[in-house]
Amino acid sequence: MNTELFGFPTVNVWVDAVIRLHLIVGLMTVVVMGLIYIERKIIARFQMRLGPTRTGPLGLLQSLADALKLLGKEDLRPRNADPLIFEFAVYFVFVPVFMGFVAIPFAFDWNVRVLELGLFYVIAISSINVVGWVMAGWASDNRYAMIGALRAAAQGISYEVPLILAVLAVAMVAGSLNLNEITGQQGHIPYIVWQPLAFAIFYVAMLAELNRSPFDIPIGESEVVGGPFVEYSGIRWSMFFLAEYAGLFILCLLASAVFLGGWAWPLGEDAGVLWQIVLTSAKTGLLIFSVFWVRVTVPRMRIDQLMAFSWKVLMPLSFGLILANGLILVYEWPHVFLLIPNVIGLVLLYVIVEHGITRRRPRQLARPAAQAEAAS
Amino acid sequence: MKGLLKSMATTLSTFARRPVTRQYPEGHKELPERDRAFPILLWDDHVDEPYCTGCHACERACPVECMTVLMKDNPNHESQGGDSRRRKIIDKFWIDYARCMRCNICVEVCNFEAIAMNNTWTGHELSVYDRSDLVMDLPQLLAQHRAGELDEWVADI
Repeated sequence: MNTELFGFPTVNVWVDAVIRLHLIVGLMTVVVMGLIYIERKIIARFQMRLGPTRTGPLGLLQSLADALKLLGKEDLRPRNADPLIFEFAVYFVFVPVFMGFVAIPFAFDWNVRVLELGLFYVIAISSINVVGWVMAGWASDNRYAMIGALRAAAQGISYEVPLILAVLAVAMVAGSLNLNEITGQQGHIPYIVWQPLAFAIFYVAMLAELNRSPFDIPIGESEVVGGPFVEYSGIRWSMFFLAEYAGLFILCLLASAVFLGGWAWPLGEDAGVLWQIVLTSAKTGLLIFSVFWVRVTVPRMRIDQLMAFSWKVLMPLSFGLILANGLILVYEWPHVFLLIPNVIGLVLLYVIVEHGITRRRPRQLARPAAQAEAAS
Repeated sequence: MKGLLKSMATTLSTFARRPVTRQYPEGHKELPERDRAFPILLWDDHVDEPYCTGCHACERACPVECMTVLMKDNPNHESQGGDSRRRKIIDKFWIDYARCMRCNICVEVCNFEAIAMNNTWTGHELSVYDRSDLVMDLPQLLAQHRAGELDEWVADI
């Protein structure tokens, strides 16, 4: 079986697959190392520091030095750990993230593969890594790791739902699950204009999915000393790290494609590959910057606040949004009507967050528990 | 939510500000005028000898006993045909910087204003491989002021 690759019409399918996969993995490793460097630099600037400056010009080689150091470290495994699961957990976190890149459009007709159900595929594949986290926590035979893993599972599964529903709301308006087509439709107006509430929900759920601050509960150092990764070292630990940043990159790419118009807005399909890639990376970069920005600003939430926010706030809002979208699309009302449920939802979200943050817990609720503790 | 947005604005404003980091070994922060490193001896430029007469006042006052002082007759005294009015002068002086706790008492008790606390970076950057290298002798104690490397006010007490 032959296929087309970079203009060469007849390339064996397997050779083609191998070449494309190598391209992804190579690109990802470089991107992740760049991201780690950029995150350290940006966060340093937020704290009025300089960040890495010593390794290479402007500290550019810092990530490389870290990677080399991690490769040189001993690959430790606790005696009580379950060897097979312990060692394979890494791949369950690592591989799905990379598989997600297959469907992401970087420019017009520039994906690894154009998938008809691309959006569905990316969402489905990116939720597998929860399995890896639980495997890591379970196999480590360590209480902190186990608690971290269970937290990761609870958080991952809870926030998966609003994430999918938010993307689904856009897919309803677009009438397609093909990422290239969804992006292509946004030549004039990106979907964030029609679906701002969906974007808000997606953004919050994305932070939670990535276990980034303020939702970094599974790996919160002050509580569970690094969560499921406590027992990992050297190359395996660095692979977890790699997967984390690759996940950040892929979800930001997805958000830029689905909500911000990816390569299409504002230049359209005919702008040329170079401009489209510049557009995609600019939007993705902006999102990644905002993720870092949130990280330096907001303190970590409690686990009960986190779960409550997902199930009691984001979930009803996204269901309501889908319902309203469905109504408007079925009766073929003009697109402007899509804004009504979104604006109402955004106001609701604002009010709920405002209320939830400033609300005082009643004294009577706290007292019996404290007395029981004192009595025992 | 209002607080959240406000905090986001605050962090963004710090992002726009210049980093306050100093690249220490290459560049030094300017020391405050009253910065207090270890005690050193001062050099009398007019008659070209130390101010110190070796009177032992500082040695007696030192709470950690880090000083050793030896006195001698001044060969440069007027009676010997010299131009100095000091009958006695310092012969040997050791300060153990490893012991000194920088209390400033020696400076307070000195009758001749011959000793002062170093207020330069040279007084702080004293890392050595051997602890005995921190025992400073007379030439070492005098060298800095003699070369004119001290900030003005130290010499003008």
